[in-house]
Amino acid sequence: MSDTRAHAAPALPSGLKDFLKTVLLLELWVGLWVTLKNQFRPHITVEYPKETVELSPRFRGVPRLRYHPDNGEELCIACHLCETVCPDDCIHIVSEKKPEGKGKRLVSFEINYERCCFCGLCVDPCPTKPLTAIYMSHDYEMADYKREGFVAPLKTLLDGMDPKDYKE
Amino acid sequence: MFRTEEMDINMGPQHPSTHGVLRLKLTLDGEEIVDVRPIIGYLHRGVEKLCEHRTYPMIEPLTDRLDYVAAISENLGYCGAVEKLMGLQVPPRAQYIRVILAELQRIASHLLWLGTHALDLGAMTVYFYTFRERELILDLFEQFCGARLTYNSMRIGGLLEDVPAGWTDRVRHFLGLFPSRQKEYEDLLTVNRIWLGRTRGVGILKADDAVAMGASGPTLRGSGVDYDVRRAQPYSSYEQFEFDVPTGTNCDTYDRYLVRMEEMRQSCRIIRQALDRLPEGEVRAKVPKYIKPPVGEVYHVVESPRGEQGFYLVSKGGEMPYRMRFRSPSFVNLQALPMMCRGQLIADVVAVIGSIDIVLGDVDR
Repeated sequence: MSDTRAHAAPALPSGLKDFLKTVLLLELWVGLWVTLKNQFRPHITVEYPKETVELSPRFRGVPRLRYHPDNGEELCIACHLCETVCPDDCIHIVSEKKPEGKGKRLVSFEINYERCCFCGLCVDPCPTKPLTAIYMSHDYEMADYKREGFVAPLKTLLDGMDPKDYKE
Repeated sequence: MFRTEEMDINMGPQHPSTHGVLRLKLTLDGEEIVDVRPIIGYLHRGVEKLCEHRTYPMIEPLTDRLDYVAAISENLGYCGAVEKLMGLQVPPRAQYIRVILAELQRIASHLLWLGTHALDLGAMTVYFYTFRERELILDLFEQFCGARLTYNSMRIGGLLEDVPAGWTDRVRHFLGLFPSRQKEYEDLLTVNRIWLGRTRGVGILKADDAVAMGASGPTLRGSGVDYDVRRAQPYSSYEQFEFDVPTGTNCDTYDRYLVRMEEMRQSCRIIRQALDRLPEGEVRAKVPKYIKPPVGEVYHVVESPRGEQGFYLVSKGGEMPYRMRFRSPSFVNLQALPMMCRGQLIADVVAVIGSIDIVLGDVDR
């Protein structure tokens, strides 16, 4: 049926050599040798709240908004594309026409982190170049005591979450 | 005198070795299994219905959550189905990177299977070693797409981004390290008499039965049937790679173990070839801004670590699919469980569940 079989199962012991193998528990010693070797390898775990692992540049944490690098206002042009593409309906944008000039500006921008699944789809269609207005930040510690804390308003999205003081 | 009667007991849904929320209704005669009835649905989320109300790009994060242990295979299958329907040609570089990701995912998934399977059968040490190596792969995925479990790593028509600088070297470094680590697991298990005692001759699924039950993946190949979607219906340029399809001879839990161990070696072989021949160029085909596949239907299969993962898609020409159906390998393989368990002892059920490697997110959808 097939030419490439998984290597055959070891045959059942027979003969003196195999008798000794069985009595001396050779295969168990091989396994214990592996365990012993691993005793002397360096630790790969870290003590989390004290130390943290390094995140890779593309790490997708909570989505946030960017400031305009030149004028310090928000970069978002209120095009509603991220709101449209979001699979979880977690982005809610209210915009109005700019008083002077063309285009729209933000009135409010909310992301409900309770619903967000961190898929990063909102970043793909963002039209601002070269930096996207919405981006996946490297923040990931978002535990809170209240559900209201998970609906992030514009200010939180721009400046990041306040450092939390966890109850002892 | 002693009464002998059959007894019904429940195993799960909160049993640690049912790998999630699987409930088994066992009919026992003493310690011997007379019948097993899997009761599923505890993790049902209605993903197929959800897909009917989402545009095509929005569905990809949902596919991450079907078989959450091997999300990249699901991404690959889903994107492949939509691309097939739209007639999109994915650039060769993207196809090769997809193959590298899918094979890394296969190794990661098999490592999780090996660790938990051995843990179920009492070999706790292997668990820590396999998770250590799995972590290296998850780091590679994090560097590529930013997530460690639900990747959302591909886009319809290719990839979102090319691999980051130095990523291929890190994959090579992992490939250099992995064979020696895999030998350690084998030292711990393959010839270990306790392991042999718990797995050999346990949960026999004859080749004919496996085919009749529609089993696929390592569960099918462990029964000696030489069938692999990657070779039978190549996708994402798998036809350009050289690899062997391991099969078992004794159709038992031990053979399924050997098949998966060999598959990890073959995956390393495929990744090496893909890295050596990685073409240059674009990673995403020209895709319209609004993805609207033409009217029609498509069925696309990929070989996920668990078996044949199928995606059936019906389009009426709109932005959302009319119908989306997932053929999940775990669900189908689970149907062979009663056949494997009858006549075995109650402790062997744990070994058999481990050997078919189900993920309940994939079973219930």
